[in-house]
Amino acid sequence: MAEMAAETVLQGTGIAKAFGAHQVLSDVRFRVADGEIVGLLGPNGSGKSTLLNIVSGFSRADAGEIRFRGAGLSGLAAHAIARRGLVRTFQLPSMPTRMSVRQVLAAGSRDGAGLVEAFLRRQADDPEVETLLDQFALSAVAHQPASSLSGGQKKLLSIALALRTRPSLLCLDEPTAGVHPQLRSRMVELLRAFNARGVAMLVVEHDMHFIRELCSRCIVLDRGEIIADCPPAQLAENERVVEAYLGKSVERPKVLS
Amino acid sequence: MIQFVIDVVIRSVDLALIAIGLSSVYSLIRFPNVTLVQYATTGALVALGLQMLGLPLIVAGLLACVFVGAVAVVLNVLIFERLLTAGSAIAMIGSLALSMVFSAVFLVTAGPRPQRFELDLNPPIRFLGARFTDHQLISVVISALAIAAFALILFRTDLGRCMRATATNPVLARGTGINTRRVTNVVVFLSGIMAALGGIGISVKGEMSAHLGMEMLLPIFAAAILGGLGNALGAALGAVVIAVAETLVTNVNFGPLVGESFLFVPAAYATAASFLLLVIVLLVRPHGLFVSEVKRV
Amino acid sequence: MFEFLLHVAIMACLYGMLALSLNLQVGFAGLINFGQIILFGAGTYGAALAFANGFGPVAGLALGVAFSTAIAVAFAQLGRNLGADYWGIATLAVAEVLRILITNEVDLTGGAQGIAGIPLIFGDWPRPVGPLMTLGLCLVILLAAWWFCRRLTESRFGLALKLIREEPMLALSLGYDLNAARTATLVVAGAMAALSGFVFAHYVTFVGPDQLVAAETFLIWAMVIIGGSGNHLGAIVGAILMQFLFAFVPFVKDAFGAPAEYVAAMRLTLVGGGLLVFLMWRTQGLIPERIGDARPAPATGRPAAARMVEKHNG
Repeated sequence: MAEMAAETVLQGTGIAKAFGAHQVLSDVRFRVADGEIVGLLGPNGSGKSTLLNIVSGFSRADAGEIRFRGAGLSGLAAHAIARRGLVRTFQLPSMPTRMSVRQVLAAGSRDGAGLVEAFLRRQADDPEVETLLDQFALSAVAHQPASSLSGGQKKLLSIALALRTRPSLLCLDEPTAGVHPQLRSRMVELLRAFNARGVAMLVVEHDMHFIRELCSRCIVLDRGEIIADCPPAQLAENERVVEAYLGKSVERPKVLS
Repeated sequence: MIQFVIDVVIRSVDLALIAIGLSSVYSLIRFPNVTLVQYATTGALVALGLQMLGLPLIVAGLLACVFVGAVAVVLNVLIFERLLTAGSAIAMIGSLALSMVFSAVFLVTAGPRPQRFELDLNPPIRFLGARFTDHQLISVVISALAIAAFALILFRTDLGRCMRATATNPVLARGTGINTRRVTNVVVFLSGIMAALGGIGISVKGEMSAHLGMEMLLPIFAAAILGGLGNALGAALGAVVIAVAETLVTNVNFGPLVGESFLFVPAAYATAASFLLLVIVLLVRPHGLFVSEVKRV
Repeated sequence: MFEFLLHVAIMACLYGMLALSLNLQVGFAGLINFGQIILFGAGTYGAALAFANGFGPVAGLALGVAFSTAIAVAFAQLGRNLGADYWGIATLAVAEVLRILITNEVDLTGGAQGIAGIPLIFGDWPRPVGPLMTLGLCLVILLAAWWFCRRLTESRFGLALKLIREEPMLALSLGYDLNAARTATLVVAGAMAALSGFVFAHYVTFVGPDQLVAAETFLIWAMVIIGGSGNHLGAIVGAILMQFLFAFVPFVKDAFGAPAEYVAAMRLTLVGGGLLVFLMWRTQGLIPERIGDARPAPATGRPAAARMVEKHNG
């Protein structure tokens, strides 16, 4: 269908990772197409965060290959991968205590942040910062220390920061964990809006409502292996998926890990 | 060759005592406490003072060690516990600052010139072609016994078990009912004693000066880091490595390598050798040459 | 007395540069550098070696900055995988190794005696005009350095440094190269220290390894912490204060009729005790951060360098 014709923005093959004797990922193969929003699901310990860390360069795979927009990523440092356009957020976003929200957003863009530019250019306030503050409902707290925000606000801020770098692929690590439902729906709106502008997304999540509202496709991991790759609607029919969640209803309560 | 071994043993025992103290305390307080080397000087100073007051050396030494141990605990409670709330880097800088105050006190009480313990002068002992004095021998034996006693405490007693538990996982240790604060202070006390003993040992074998501690700072850190901070046994082995490096560098004739009959590295480079070794180890294996219990660098 | 005060003022300016340089590393980039004095030494020996080999002062300055840059890059490489306190120990060790090398390589560096006879800056002018002009020059350089540091830390580069310092993982995920930022900061701070060393060499007219002992680094640290780290004005105030206190210690000693070693002891107490007192009870230093929206800085246990800064560093 239209998906198959779209460009592949991220492709992983044969990814394996072990921590000591524990094999966390085995022969993982997956694909994210341009403009897609793909959910990455699985019970706790299935290797979702590890996969995200490997894709974004915060961890090294033992084996396998990852191609981002056609080019290999192996051996690249995390910051180099981010510069290529693959940006990730963290499950527990920690924010600076001696910077205001506005300052953090300003620092989010590396334009003009070089040593030489510090002297050549008078740094004007970036209008994009104000726009983002508005979009993410952070204007009221813009002057506060970033660490004083609520958990949900910090997650919104981290998404805003990631989007500021103009990524081709945004990897979100449990964006709704611990977030108030109202903020959650705003998050869905914002992510849809940015997706419409061409940002592909890979979302690690437990919240099925969120997944169904946002993702066109889901990859399910269980004990380091991919057991399903289908649209969210088909998940409940997939026996292996249901089994992986220990026979309980796939609609799990939100998990705070 | 035997002389070389003897020299290394004599040197490494001194380093080992203080390095072990530094390393074991590190595993509990989580920052390298620079003031420890000044505890060594304090021990020597107090022992010297007590001997001058007429006490026999052994008694003076014992009292000095206990005194320094107590001082260490007091300072830990009053100063370092507070500094630690601001982070380990701040605590380390604070310990450096405190060391400077110690140096000031030493300068004023002991004076800038080195002093010597009152010792009977006996002819050196000859053994298998090597020479050493009876004081060196006694000092080495006492130090070795102290290290052994410490190892015994660490591995064979309940206290030792609590220490190791607290070092590995303080939160969990507290959860199992261990009074981590008390355990920490006991280790601080013991490390103070070890440091004082090390300082007395060095002074007995040579001389006591106000600069004793600070001069030893980097070699002791090198030994502790080489062995892996938090690994008491490693610190002892690290001390041996440092002693070997220092002794080798200045005793080996590099002449034949460059086509001359004699080429010795100046004595001053002995310390440089151990510092360089420290830097190299930090670059290559910051956790130490051996696996350490505390994996934090 | 006047000439003595002039001398102290000149030294205060030179130490001010060193404090600004260290503050950039400690207060803004979180770099616990205990080898600061060897960056200064790069400048002094750059000037001295250029002179000893028949080159002019311009070559001396260039050589000094070249040395400091090499050392700064080496320091940065050391920091790739090391935590802050270990890195501090490593920089101390490197500085000491270099000092020992300088002391022993007599053919290269003049050894313990050092190199003397370096041309005195404004030496052709009669006293006290010459020293007055030197003070003027040092003030200009200090003010320029202050402007430079402010410009740097109020810029996007400064914001980036803050982010890298507080949340390195976040910074990485946004594409910041931590190592490059660390290297850039060290090279710039090193050049400032080298400049200070260069001027120093041409003022006291001789250089030697005794000027590069670790105690000097600790003094500069005290200046930064007592003055208020993360805050350029604080560094300068700390430098001026400590320098003047130091200079008057011998007079105090004479007033009490104390023996010579009391000078060193009092200075050690000033540095060590001052550092300790401020670290424990006034972590923000003498000049606290100015908070943009007029809220007082919270009295947390963390030093000024860990405080929130809205806009301005003094």
